[in-house]
Amino acid sequence: MKVTYFQQVPYRQLPDDFEKRFESVVTTPYFELTTSENVAAAFREALDELMHAARSGFDGLTVTEHGQSSYDMVPNPDLIESALAYATEIEELPTAIYPVGRSLGKSREPLRVAEELAMIDCISRGRLVSGFPVGLAYDANINNGVPPAQTRQRFDENLELVLKAWKAREVFPWNGRFAQHAAVNIWPRPVQQDPLPPVWITGIGNPRTMQMSIEREFGFNYFGWFGLKVAGRRIFDRFWEEVERAGKDANPYRLGFMQSICVADTDAKAEALYAKHAEYFFRKAVGSIPMERLALPGGIDIRGVEALMRDPGDFGIYDKLRTVTFAELMDAGALVCGSPDTVVEQVTAHAREYRIGNLHAMLQFGSMPHSLAKDNIDLFAEQVMPRLRQLWTDQGYQHHWWPLRLGGIPLPAAADVQAIAAPIGAQA
Amino acid sequence: MTATTQPVATEKVVVVWDNTIRLRVKVVGQGPALVYLHPAGGLLWDEFLSRLAQDYTVYAPEFPGTSPADPYAIHQVHDLWQVVLMYEEALRKLNIGTPVLIGQSFGGMLAAELAASYPDRFSKLILMDAIGLWRDDQPVVNWIAAPPSQLPALLFADPEGPAAKMMFASPADREDAIAARAGMVWAIGCTGKFIWPIPDKGLQHRLHRISAPTLIVWGELDKLVPVSYADEFASRIYGSKVAVIADSAHIPQLEQTDTTYSVVKEFLHLSDRHAPSLVGADS
Repeated sequence: MKVTYFQQVPYRQLPDDFEKRFESVVTTPYFELTTSENVAAAFREALDELMHAARSGFDGLTVTEHGQSSYDMVPNPDLIESALAYATEIEELPTAIYPVGRSLGKSREPLRVAEELAMIDCISRGRLVSGFPVGLAYDANINNGVPPAQTRQRFDENLELVLKAWKAREVFPWNGRFAQHAAVNIWPRPVQQDPLPPVWITGIGNPRTMQMSIEREFGFNYFGWFGLKVAGRRIFDRFWEEVERAGKDANPYRLGFMQSICVADTDAKAEALYAKHAEYFFRKAVGSIPMERLALPGGIDIRGVEALMRDPGDFGIYDKLRTVTFAELMDAGALVCGSPDTVVEQVTAHAREYRIGNLHAMLQFGSMPHSLAKDNIDLFAEQVMPRLRQLWTDQGYQHHWWPLRLGGIPLPAAADVQAIAAPIGAQA
Repeated sequence: MTATTQPVATEKVVVVWDNTIRLRVKVVGQGPALVYLHPAGGLLWDEFLSRLAQDYTVYAPEFPGTSPADPYAIHQVHDLWQVVLMYEEALRKLNIGTPVLIGQSFGGMLAAELAASYPDRFSKLILMDAIGLWRDDQPVVNWIAAPPSQLPALLFADPEGPAAKMMFASPADREDAIAARAGMVWAIGCTGKFIWPIPDKGLQHRLHRISAPTLIVWGELDKLVPVSYADEFASRIYGSKVAVIADSAHIPQLEQTDTTYSVVKEFLHLSDRHAPSLVGADS
């Protein structure tokens, strides 16, 4: 199994009663709640934690994107990742540079996305893994002004443009519905050309997103905010059903999963050290994003809206998150916390059951201070990660969704369908 | 008020936009043509419309995507210009002469766009709590991003009153209720495509073209588009008149049906007799 280190840049000193006082992470008053020292420190600490993880041997450094939000102050992960690309190159650390969340449904400048990522691939000399989520409603629609009914269409068009801009040998015009460019000829192009940088799509359960990822041989990421044991099970079952339906092999490396994890010498010590930071994170981050900011009319297909009204199970413990307790997080599997043995046992069991080939370990979250985050990274890297890495190694699967420079193996030519455009305008 | 007998409704399908969109038009009543453009949540047939149908043939098109039988028609509609051209095409194909045009909220914006684009095609124009303009000091509330639980309070002066209950009535059958709720969510998304994120798409620069006699009807307690917007419209539409409806918020035709119907009826009859004085001496 590949194990990446997953980082957000949260403001770590929000008041205890944040989730009672404020409607959402999106409308949080900046100057009332922050000091510039704390904000600056949040960036320094996050970058230091990422580099600490790189030095500890993680397979990749994954960073998400969230505009205008107090729980993750990263409006563009490419900025963080380009700094990491340079620093890890200097230190000769063979880790994937993995902006997991450059949302293409949100982006109004897809060519800039293509250029930024190509630059990162050059700076890192071929270590880019490129994550393209469709986009969260509050970020794509509220923050960036994209009509909800256009998020998916923009994603579809922008993805085609980015991939074409990366590889086209000739200058080409792009006359899209959303972007028009008389002459596309980006400099630089990614170092990775054959194949292009691995593309990963993040989804929350929409079967169409899964189908598109599988058909086009992209990796598929799912983030476990809503509880692996309650929501994850449904999502993973659906994913592998779609893989089977598409006639593809059940290669676990197709699937990535983000899990919040904390490790200490014993289970009791882990709870004592991390419980309050986990509660801070889930209550003041995802828990403080009201449903009408996660889903907006027009953003979800009418049949999808009906399906969610019939059965909201994909949202797992979302309803509880604003007041969630450590025990509830553990019960739902939204958090794995304990001794190295406990963590290995739980993660391995889940990974086996759901055929997870890529784990994104979120080891700093919420208010967790820098020193504790480093302890968590250290213990995880020393005593958990080596054992998790053994998973799947005996089954003969090849990892086709990883940079060649870092051991990825190209798909057989016939299966490499990234270049074949899916029909644009397929309904969101 | 006395409930009017529910008139017989028929549905006409008008194929527009190079045979790609089937626009469904509800047709009710008898008499001269009157076109009604519904608000963002879709077409809800109400008492106000039934009363109009006593004197007029009411043509009520369903915005593409808001017809339960054809939700994906919205994917064929890309911008506001297309919407205006497509509606003009539909009205032309209906062959109904120069109808009265009434629009409510989102439909009000659409009605204003049509009347500004085709000044000679409508005999009278009635805008009811229309969106389409913007004031920084009194922003239009973004109902698309509002929590669904807050919609009754946002739309109605009395969120517990019969008008709110009618609008948000849920069918007894669970599947029917899901279809109705999902349909309303989808309709709000379909119409929202053309006004997101701020419902100001330049209408203020086009309103001066309107030459049809115009009545602007507004709920005095409108919390979504404050009543000050009535004057914003009036100041840009030459010779227009404003009727403010007391004890009503955003949807006067539902919340104060009698009063709303009477001011509308008076305007329609008055303007029949005195059209020149309403539209100005040079019209």
